[in-house]
Amino acid sequence: MRLRVIKAYFVKELIDLYRSKLIFMPYLVPLLIVVLFGYGIKMQVTGVRVLILDNDHSKISRTLISKFEHSKYFNTTVENITEEEGLEKIKKASKDMIVIIPSSFEKNILKGTQSEIGVFVDASFPSRSSTMTNYVQGVIYNLAQDYHIKSSQMIQLNNRNLFNQSLRDEEMIVPGLIGLVLLVSPAILTALLISKEKEKGTIFNFYSSSVTGAEFLIAKLSAIFTLTSLNIFILFFVVIFLFDLPFRGNFFLYWISSELYILVALGFGLLVSIVVSSQIVAIVVTLMLTILPGFLYSGMLMPISSMNNEAYIIAHLYPVMYYNHIIYDTFLVGQGFDSSLNILYLSLLAGYALLFFFVGLFFLKKEI
Amino acid sequence: MHPFFTILLKELLIFFRSTGLVLMVIYFFTAEVYVAGDGVEVEAKNISIAIVDKSAGGISKKIISSLHAPEFQTPKFYTSQKELSDAIYDRDIMIGLIFDEDFEKNYYKHLNPQINILVDSTTASQSLMALGYLQNIVMDFNKMQLPITMKIHKLFNQNATTSYFMSLSELLSVITLLTVILTAVVFVKEKENGTWDIMLLMPVNPKIIILAKSFSQIIIVMIGTFLSVGIVLFKGFNIPLNGSLLNFFILTFFYVWTTAGLGLFIAAVSKTVTQIAQLSIVIMMPIIFLSGAWTPIYAMHPILQTLSIFSPLRYYIEGSESIFFRGSGFIDLLPYFGGVILLGIVLYWYGFRKIGKLF
Repeated sequence: MRLRVIKAYFVKELIDLYRSKLIFMPYLVPLLIVVLFGYGIKMQVTGVRVLILDNDHSKISRTLISKFEHSKYFNTTVENITEEEGLEKIKKASKDMIVIIPSSFEKNILKGTQSEIGVFVDASFPSRSSTMTNYVQGVIYNLAQDYHIKSSQMIQLNNRNLFNQSLRDEEMIVPGLIGLVLLVSPAILTALLISKEKEKGTIFNFYSSSVTGAEFLIAKLSAIFTLTSLNIFILFFVVIFLFDLPFRGNFFLYWISSELYILVALGFGLLVSIVVSSQIVAIVVTLMLTILPGFLYSGMLMPISSMNNEAYIIAHLYPVMYYNHIIYDTFLVGQGFDSSLNILYLSLLAGYALLFFFVGLFFLKKEI
Repeated sequence: MHPFFTILLKELLIFFRSTGLVLMVIYFFTAEVYVAGDGVEVEAKNISIAIVDKSAGGISKKIISSLHAPEFQTPKFYTSQKELSDAIYDRDIMIGLIFDEDFEKNYYKHLNPQINILVDSTTASQSLMALGYLQNIVMDFNKMQLPITMKIHKLFNQNATTSYFMSLSELLSVITLLTVILTAVVFVKEKENGTWDIMLLMPVNPKIIILAKSFSQIIIVMIGTFLSVGIVLFKGFNIPLNGSLLNFFILTFFYVWTTAGLGLFIAAVSKTVTQIAQLSIVIMMPIIFLSGAWTPIYAMHPILQTLSIFSPLRYYIEGSESIFFRGSGFIDLLPYFGGVILLGIVLYWYGFRKIGKLF
């Protein structure tokens, strides 16, 4: 291991990136992804365009309509059209939901007989449709309770929401996004490193020189490692100030695990670029193996604990889940180094980084 | 042979000779779409739940017995609240129910019995749904007779099957991603090798060269789409088709053409493949974001709503969903066709000007 060689390569790589005007890209891309998706992914549903067809025109039906109008979730319009015309509007995607109040609605309620409210929902976006029907259920229960005597025998639920008290979308999504970009961005940069030399033929410079494989890899990786490490801090400040996220955990844990995770991503991109021979295949393979698993196995959209058998095992094979556990811990949970699970996962990350590096070293052969 | 077909053939040959690339494209159109459709479940299902029952009575047992699949896993039992909260802090358990000692007593004495619940709400949307399930279970137990019932009709996707939506939208993203990258690389590789100038020096109209080169990639993506729709969407997921398949492929063709225009634009402004990789992410992310794939357009900020007019994916997603789920006819689809084609013309006009001449 000769430091002089590593330094020369290191400087060369930085100059290369600088000249190709790409020096800002390692910062721009992650920032863009975090900001866009942080604002973009909204699991909460607001402003549902609901159309109410009131066939009763009574006091109770108007109370129901005003309950819809006063809810922040709905954007209510009341029209005097037939059911078919209403359905046509859903078909043209100009309404999301129709609520049909039957005639003699008030009479039935006052008599105590059952009356049925028809609800039609556009379910082409399934999770949204479930949320929308839950909201309507809430509004209707609310109305029903006004006409129902409360009993003290009724069991009440007393729930405490841990880690994300106000159930904000940002707190659920944004830490996971950090995990995603710290994987994708370094991996793409490294994947191009060696495949570019292969495609251009400059890799023969390395084959015919006395530089060893380990020196070559360390030198190549350290340039990108230095550049992307700055992201850990940039993203931290963006997330705290822009999205108003809490930080309950240990900053040192956040820092050290992120550095390790970047090493994992680098090692991963490196493996791809050693195996693959052209740049385009390298990009496509890296995108393919990072973005989708990065989303799926992060626990961002569905908790790992509720995955079924195979998905549960695959999730444990990818390093994504271990980093995500730590990062959610540092932002929302706050156990830090007290939790033995965090320390286990941290060492697993280090293990993955080493594994990728040595497998890459094994496959990098000087071939002439 | 007309130069158009010569160039088209040359590009297709280059593509099919690169085995790695062919395999990748096939993988993207089949396995990737399948994994996304099969793996992502946005509805809360199979939730891990644990219970601390100190009341030791019949009421709590009855409530526990109604926690079952597909919503909940088999509940785990803990003896103390400490153990339960440790499991939640380690994110092994998502929801914990705690029945107090006097829960049963309160129930019979009408003293507002309550169940304490601890929720890991990092995945906020799922926590909310899970709480909704619990609310319904307790509501049933209370036998609260409401004078009003709801009859819910879920249109276009009765069981709210997530795989329909996820597989289709993953296919649309794959189409976008591959078209942009493949087209951009076809041009920039010639730039990198210095053969692009030679192409332009040929006594062939540069517009024909550009069109032929991008059409070769359009053909590749269209073949992939055929495979994906036939094998994964129809065979794998039994996705319902309420509209006409022909309309979908016509719309796909125009969309792929516009997206190839986007690739052309990226190729026009970048010099190396590395630049393409970065630029296409920078350009594609806002396009995906503004398409309404994650947040419906009407729920966005007014400025963003206006900007979304420029996202071709917006027209494509709305159009495809309308064809597959809502079963819209050709006339209703015209705005989507118009939007896609118009954007394509602008992109090609720019591409022709920027990359299509030597001097």
